[in-house]
Amino acid sequence: MHEFQAWLWSTLGSIHIVRPFMTSAWGWPICESLHFVGLSMLIGCVGTFDLRLVGMAKRVPIAAMHRLIPWGIAGFVINVITGSMFLVTAPDQYIYNPSFHFKILFMIIAGINVAVFYLAAFGQVKTLGSGVQAPLFARVIGGASLFLWTGVIVFGRMLTFYRPNPCNGEPEGFLSVCLK
Amino acid sequence: MLDPFFIWLETTALSVWVREATEVYAFPSILSLHTIGMGFVAGMSAAMNLRILGVAAFVPLMEFKRFFPVLWAGFWLNAVSGVVLLIGYPTKALTNPMFYLKLVFIGLGILCLRSIRKSVFSDEDLDFQAVPRRGRLWAGASLACWTGAIFAGRLLAYTYSKLTTI
Repeated sequence: MHEFQAWLWSTLGSIHIVRPFMTSAWGWPICESLHFVGLSMLIGCVGTFDLRLVGMAKRVPIAAMHRLIPWGIAGFVINVITGSMFLVTAPDQYIYNPSFHFKILFMIIAGINVAVFYLAAFGQVKTLGSGVQAPLFARVIGGASLFLWTGVIVFGRMLTFYRPNPCNGEPEGFLSVCLK
Repeated sequence: MLDPFFIWLETTALSVWVREATEVYAFPSILSLHTIGMGFVAGMSAAMNLRILGVAAFVPLMEFKRFFPVLWAGFWLNAVSGVVLLIGYPTKALTNPMFYLKLVFIGLGILCLRSIRKSVFSDEDLDFQAVPRRGRLWAGASLACWTGAIFAGRLLAYTYSKLTTI
């Protein structure tokens, strides 16, 4: 994986298109602010749906609540765009950051959770009307979603505190967490 | 003028701990909690405001009352974590006009929430009916306020002029 990280670093580092904007006085701060707005849209709209699955506000039909999901996805898209802008501007600060590794891991698991929901649960729960509790399987998926996205926030916030230092000798472990 | 106050506050044990404790459960965790709380208070308000503005119109509006406790939990989590951060860096925040702008946005955001509670959630007939213009204006204002608070809060890291007084 160390070679993959080095490859990623040089590949992402060769993308220069957003650099002038991101290194301007307000580029990075504006993208960070948008990243936090996107985060709130995701947690607010997907989280509200998750809470209905878990068992809150049961008078809301699942299909009706699902209409909020596109707004959560919009938040996610904002964050993928702004997040990619951070990544290509300072790739080493993320590729070798253990907190970023966990953030990506949680996003992958959250993605699998979404896939499992739509493949195995949504067909069953979208017809659940007012006052009906979602089956246990779907409730667990909703709870997992809340937990995983909260974890993504925490690891995102922790990035600053786990910035990689220069390597002291050869990097060890599955993923390198120092700068060569 | 406020220097003696800043010096006193910045030498208290809690303030020193916020700034200097290296454990991950110190400053990084307080910031994480502040971000999670933001997601819930700004995000849940946004979901509710979108519903008031006509998104997901088949959601019985009154059911959003059930999310108020979650929203307020997010708010109080942020009030407490925010005060702890302020105790850690009083000079940094209180000498930055952006911090007061953030507080104004938060204050107006709360005002919007209370007005929505009063003008929209007091009327059970609005469960499925379009919300009157007044309620929709409050919802739009609420979205703007929380977006403003998020921007102002994020920009605090870039606009302060002095980190500490001691």
